[in-house]
Amino acid sequence: MKSWKKTLAVICVGAMTLALAGCGADNTKKVSDGGKVKIEYWHVASESFGGTTVKELVADFNKTHPNIEVVEKYNPDMYKGLTQNLQAAMASGKNPDVVQMGWSYLNYAAENLKYTDIPKMINEKVPADKDFLEKNYLPNVLALAQTDDGKQIGIPYSVSVPVLFYNPEVFEKAGLDPNNPPKTWAEVQKAAKQIKEKTGIMGFFMQEYADNWAQQALIESNGGKMLKKENGKTKAAFDSPEAADAYQLLADMVKDGSGLHATNEEGFQAYLSGKLGMVCTTIGKRANFEKSAKFKVMVAPFPVFDGKQLQVPAGGNFLMVFSKDDAKQKAAWEFIKYLESPAALAKWSTGTGYLPPRKDVEQDPNGFKKMIEENKNIQAALSTMPNLVKWASFPGANGLQAEQMLIDVRDVILSGKQTAAEALHTTAEKVNSIL
Amino acid sequence: MQKARIPALFFLLPAAVIFLIFFYWPLAQNLYLSFFQWNMVSPQMKFVGIANYLEVLGSMELLKNLGNTLMFIIVLLILNFLLPYLYSYILGHLVKKYNFFYRSALFLPSTISLAVASILFLWIYNPLAGPLSIILSGFGLESPRWFKENILVIIALSTIIGWKVFGYNLIVMLAAMVAVPKEMIEAAKLENASDWLIFKKIILPMTAPTAVYVFTITVVFGLQYVLVPVNMLTQGGPDQGSSNLVYIVYQYGFIFFQTGKAAAFAILTMLAYGAFLLLKNKYLDKRIHYEN
Repeated sequence: MKSWKKTLAVICVGAMTLALAGCGADNTKKVSDGGKVKIEYWHVASESFGGTTVKELVADFNKTHPNIEVVEKYNPDMYKGLTQNLQAAMASGKNPDVVQMGWSYLNYAAENLKYTDIPKMINEKVPADKDFLEKNYLPNVLALAQTDDGKQIGIPYSVSVPVLFYNPEVFEKAGLDPNNPPKTWAEVQKAAKQIKEKTGIMGFFMQEYADNWAQQALIESNGGKMLKKENGKTKAAFDSPEAADAYQLLADMVKDGSGLHATNEEGFQAYLSGKLGMVCTTIGKRANFEKSAKFKVMVAPFPVFDGKQLQVPAGGNFLMVFSKDDAKQKAAWEFIKYLESPAALAKWSTGTGYLPPRKDVEQDPNGFKKMIEENKNIQAALSTMPNLVKWASFPGANGLQAEQMLIDVRDVILSGKQTAAEALHTTAEKVNSIL
Repeated sequence: MQKARIPALFFLLPAAVIFLIFFYWPLAQNLYLSFFQWNMVSPQMKFVGIANYLEVLGSMELLKNLGNTLMFIIVLLILNFLLPYLYSYILGHLVKKYNFFYRSALFLPSTISLAVASILFLWIYNPLAGPLSIILSGFGLESPRWFKENILVIIALSTIIGWKVFGYNLIVMLAAMVAVPKEMIEAAKLENASDWLIFKKIILPMTAPTAVYVFTITVVFGLQYVLVPVNMLTQGGPDQGSSNLVYIVYQYGFIFFQTGKAAAFAILTMLAYGAFLLLKNKYLDKRIHYEN
């Protein structure tokens, strides 16, 4: 009697093992779900950075386009995080459809990821929209999403510039005039010191994201450059006295106690709770700052270096498509056209702080025109748009590691361990050896 | 006796299959990857032999990471091994009332996810607006930049892990404490032994097996836990100051997409841990008195 129970137990265990091995089977995703084409939209808009606007736009699109369903997915750690996720997803064969790509990843994405050639796709599959890009975008804005050899790999979407946010209440306490914010970096240094001495509140913070955008604005506005092309090869160019002087200005502020060197979230938290006078970060944070601060948030354009030309890299993102099959590509294009329509762009700019890439949005009475007239902060940002340059993007397989080296040297310079000149020189050599 | 062999093998099969598929197969794949240069998406993998290993072994990064790893381990041992040991002795033998309250209160942080804990502590350590800085300013001190200074960052990150894992280790040690035969302790008390003497001569040897377990998991899992706060708060910074043997694998693999080098780091890390376990077996396990 007992022996058959034993055999039964052994058979059950054997079957369980087989089931375990089998349960890893991949459920192949269906392209259409009852006639609907499902596409994925990857973005970096967290709750405090336009997340609600993204959800609204997606819901609106899904309602007005019943044959397409867009699923949005948030990627933490900004464009670096999104590119990492994208690369990992493509390595496992599961690519998203529409993606917000950061400008500084232009070259890396063009060289390493299999993207859909949008102009080619338009010509072949949606010829009615042949003139869409030329009609609606200025050539220098379109150029932001082109590689060095002129390939249009995406459609510009969000444009941001670095600006100087400040707290008028802290200014008044320190004896500074809130209607007359610092216009040059020398004035910023003086103001920060005055704030610290008169009120004890920290004076200035420059964003420290996992990229070098704001630092590039600082360096290039002083006449320095991030990258240069020598004999067809890209090399580090930030090893110059102009770059070192600009960076040293920041380091000196941290050294004399009027500048903050901390993580981004700490800096922004401090600003919003009134413990920091000035923050230099992206205009894309405007909507969130205005909503969360207990004081009236005021914005000044990015300060200049006396006698030098202002140069700010365009931040934000452009839209790329990675769909493989026809139906998904067409659906992705429909979605992109919707996102780039004046009404949707106005909504996006209102909910974030990004500036629209298309000219007609500013004149559009339905949306952005009124907002611009009422919001001085947006005007301050728009005034720097003529000075837009490309966000420096490190090419090649080691581009991402080169970017990390610049991030590391920022910590070294701001903590005072080395002077800017020494640190930039060492890093330039390191970067050149791996590029 | 022979007949019992075949069913026995069948019973072992599920566990063996899981081990093979999820532990040994990836290990073999990792070893294979470490001899190539590949960015995870390109269809070509370039064979480079032991070049990855040579680069890794000759780099300054390895030294810095080893140093950071050691520092992490020391701080984590204090927070997750020594402290729970002491607390469990106090809770198990010295505190008579409200034991249940202490146990629950101290275990509660373990239930919160590490990501949430990281954000919480980011706020607590905020040098201008956080609670800690307010307390320090009450004493007239300015708060250090916890996440931007080399040694402080390791301490700050370890406190996050300590806060979370302390409860679990405490409960495990408490179980061992409570299992110490009461007669021994009462006999020692009759002879007027101090609490410290009781701890040293009775508790320590009797709870040694569990203590070695907690010691081992603190070292082995500590760095893996630390990956979450490091990834969320400092990304290995400042200037690789919080990067460690486990994080460097992640950084090379998923931030730089240099999988060959990441795999080489991973193999070296595994060897380092293997050496640790060998030493532990040789020196610690011999001195433990197991019940049977």
